[in-house]
Amino acid sequence: MPQSRHSPHLYPFSAIVGQGSMKLALILNAINPSVGGVLIRGEKGTAKSTAVRALASLLPEIEVAADCPYSCNPNDTATLCDLCRSNGIVTQTRRVRVTELPLNATEEMVVGGLDFSASITDGIRIFQPGLMARANRGILYIDEVNLLSDHLVDIILDASASRENVVQREGISHRHPARFVLVGSMNPEEGELRPQLRDRFGLCVEVHGEHDVALRVEVLRRRDSFDRAPEAFCRQFARNDGILRQRICDARSALSSIEFPEHLFGVIAEVCVTHRAAGHRADVVIAHTAKALAAFEGRTEVAAEDLHRAAALALPHRAREPLARNEALPETLAYINPPPAAKPAGYPDDYPEEDPTHVSVSDSALAEKGLEPTQRPSRNPDCPEAIFETAPEFKVREIGQRRDKVFRQGSGRRSKTRTRQKKGRYVRSIARRLTDDVALDATIRAAAPHQLSRKTDNGLVVAIQSEDIREKVRETRIGNFLLFIVDASGSMGAKGRMVASKGAILSLLKDAYQKRDRVAMVSFRKQEAVVNLPPTSSIYLAGQLLKELPVGGKTPLAAGLRKGQSVLRNVLHKDPACRPILIVITDGRANESIGSGDPFWEALSAAKGIAADKRIKSIVVDAEEQGGFQYRFSVRLAKVLRAEYFQIKDLRADILLEIVRSGV
Amino acid sequence: MAILPVYPFAAIVGQDKVKLALILNIIDPTIGGVLIRGEKGTAKTTAVRGLADILPVIEVVESCPFQLPNRDNGSVCGNCTGHPCFDHNPHDKPPTKKERKISVVELPLGATEDRLVGALNLEHALKTGEKKFEPGVLAQAHRGILYVDEVNLLDDHLVDVLLDSAAMGMNTVEREGVSFVHPARFTLVGTMNPEEGELRPQLLDRFGLCVNIEGIRDPHSRVEIMARRLRFDENPAQFVEDCYAESAEIATRIRLAQTQCAKVTAENSILELIASACLKLGVDGHRADIMTLKTSRAIAAYEGRTEVTPQDVAAAAELALPHRVRRAPFDSMATELVAEIRRALLDG
Repeated sequence: MPQSRHSPHLYPFSAIVGQGSMKLALILNAINPSVGGVLIRGEKGTAKSTAVRALASLLPEIEVAADCPYSCNPNDTATLCDLCRSNGIVTQTRRVRVTELPLNATEEMVVGGLDFSASITDGIRIFQPGLMARANRGILYIDEVNLLSDHLVDIILDASASRENVVQREGISHRHPARFVLVGSMNPEEGELRPQLRDRFGLCVEVHGEHDVALRVEVLRRRDSFDRAPEAFCRQFARNDGILRQRICDARSALSSIEFPEHLFGVIAEVCVTHRAAGHRADVVIAHTAKALAAFEGRTEVAAEDLHRAAALALPHRAREPLARNEALPETLAYINPPPAAKPAGYPDDYPEEDPTHVSVSDSALAEKGLEPTQRPSRNPDCPEAIFETAPEFKVREIGQRRDKVFRQGSGRRSKTRTRQKKGRYVRSIARRLTDDVALDATIRAAAPHQLSRKTDNGLVVAIQSEDIREKVRETRIGNFLLFIVDASGSMGAKGRMVASKGAILSLLKDAYQKRDRVAMVSFRKQEAVVNLPPTSSIYLAGQLLKELPVGGKTPLAAGLRKGQSVLRNVLHKDPACRPILIVITDGRANESIGSGDPFWEALSAAKGIAADKRIKSIVVDAEEQGGFQYRFSVRLAKVLRAEYFQIKDLRADILLEIVRSGV
Repeated sequence: MAILPVYPFAAIVGQDKVKLALILNIIDPTIGGVLIRGEKGTAKTTAVRGLADILPVIEVVESCPFQLPNRDNGSVCGNCTGHPCFDHNPHDKPPTKKERKISVVELPLGATEDRLVGALNLEHALKTGEKKFEPGVLAQAHRGILYVDEVNLLDDHLVDVLLDSAAMGMNTVEREGVSFVHPARFTLVGTMNPEEGELRPQLLDRFGLCVNIEGIRDPHSRVEIMARRLRFDENPAQFVEDCYAESAEIATRIRLAQTQCAKVTAENSILELIASACLKLGVDGHRADIMTLKTSRAIAAYEGRTEVTPQDVAAAAELALPHRVRRAPFDSMATELVAEIRRALLDG
């Protein structure tokens, strides 16, 4: 089935301005499929999708068996599917196909399943090929791969690695080749891909918008003339596309004869070790990529330089450090694009281009600026009331409730949950009856094989009996409810505690924003605790309030905890399935009691009350600075609260990784 | 069935930016929609509904669920046998066409995914045992306006799907046993009240333009608003008729601008102006540049000119850039930003 296109003209590959490493990564995959796909990470509007589609029209046409659902290669009799073997082949040439995987695809559409039409009318079980079959010998493109259900990503990466799709479902047992170039794109602002999945993509490139006026104007001009007269524009770049196509063809046929000097394996290992790549997949990918590079540049032997350039594409997402914005491998990045003198003759003019390395420079300069406020000493710690600066934000480690089997309502992105509402993504079907959420397709498939033995008298072709009924399993992420209890007493003003705490809370809020949580904030100081922010989904409000939070006075920790408990009680009363997360930020130096008891003891007893409700997950963030003498009150508080205990620095995602690693 | 009269677009007092943004989108649908952010009761919904008066006419194949202009545009018809336009028209006979106004399709907040993207046709499957695709809201919205009220409250997975098809210009369905692709190019118009929570930046970027709307402070205008609303509520039909001339004038201007838009030229200096302003403001990616150019061109066409001026760019940037400037999620989309955009443009 042809993919529908509203315009027969695609933006030409060679007309894409800049984005050298993305273009190179795509080409290398086209030359050598063993490279194992590309993950394109980058901001919005940087020609990610455009490049993938353009690649398909750039590649030489392929010969396929006409009407074969798997696009069998007529010249390779060993891999023919059963259909082609039995029916004979009519050869047809066509463009390489880009199969797009929509985010809302269901599992059976991806891997394939029972064809119910055939079952009902002919009473036979026939496999209906899915997207994986359609993608065979083409490109499988997943836009926003980080938003795709993990379950589907797993299946696809599995097939991509084994180059075969094995189906065992609905009474069907089938396997077919699934060799495709996997291209995923994602915007890291929307959340990360699990490291496990990231590792399965052969290469990873970061794309950015151009930061040079002249280049931006060129982007604008080209896009504009394409939109106005696509045909003329494509003609203009047809020559460059043609040259590139020829180079890819030549490289493909040269690939098998590329020499790989023995001693270079040592270099690969060395590079991987220096960059602390996890696992051995990186080594293999680098070797394949380097070969493709050598072939692309018309050389017959892999050089050490190829390895470094390959490493720059293969390592960024595998290095054990978290992948921060613009954090590439500085020493190797320069190799991505050879100096202009290395351009072979006939190279299209604008390819490859200088990588915008200056981007990282300007960003790191910014980061330095952002660091300033922390260095600034908090003025006047004894001042009775003050509003403090905010330390820079950081990426927060994963905080979430455990996945359980409770069905709940709502939406968001923090914790995964089963949902009983008729919303959320339909991921698969089950035979169990729990709701009325009938999975029609699965039900008909279940009934299909029995149709010849059943007959209907109600005018319907399909006789469905109750045992056929299948239900949808839907999965959705729900946002949690986060309650912040913030210590705003005078002691928090000392030694920059509040500055650091505000930075930490703001970072947690940013994280909450990405996960669509609801938040509330309670602060306590002087004699009382107040609800600064009742439960809301407006993280913006919370951020504003926090910035203006005054600090000063005594520390009524117990009052703060009690107030927090009552907020939680209300929330849980409204929605008993909710799993709130309580975050207490304090230095623990309680010195104001509600009644007549010892302030700290009172706080502990309030904490015991909260800990009694198992639905609440608590976290204590210790604002007390490290080093020197510490009271460690917060540690005791955390113990009683059955809370996880963190110091502010532990909240950072990167540092947590360090801790885990050193523990192993 | 009598159709209730809608408050006319031309009779809305003030809110010029919203009106302009909507009009520009009709002139050039590739601008990619408007997001209207504002407090309650600021004629957000009224403006969108009122559009019906001034919308231009398009040609569609009768009873085609995908609003296609004729059979061969887009290859959906090959997959679509079984829909009425095919039943009545054997392949050799051209399908009946009809002219109608661009439609405004509303996506309710409670919509389910299968209604949005389309699903397996239940009746057809049970009666004949065959698969048939039942088109959803995205099919209806093709070549029209998809209106999402309170878009920030829309369920996350629906937003993802919406994003996907808005970006691709087509709807790819791979679920419930049907696999289907059809074009879905629509002007996405969303309204939201920022107090209820913000939109994800990724979705923000998909809206071509963004307008912050505020209640009108000027007492005279407020009186005028009340007076007009009262007149409309008393006798809607009469009120609509009174505004007819004004509506017709806007409609004519839009039609003229539509034909002119492609002829509007932009000098190299204009492109440089746009690029340097976008750089200065630190926008993500290149979509901002492209949208600003398209919008300036539509503005010039609407003003009856054939060349883009720096003033057009400034006006366009105010609509196309505020929501694209990179910042922390909880910085407000303040009015200072608009001033900053002006500065960035006019200094350059």
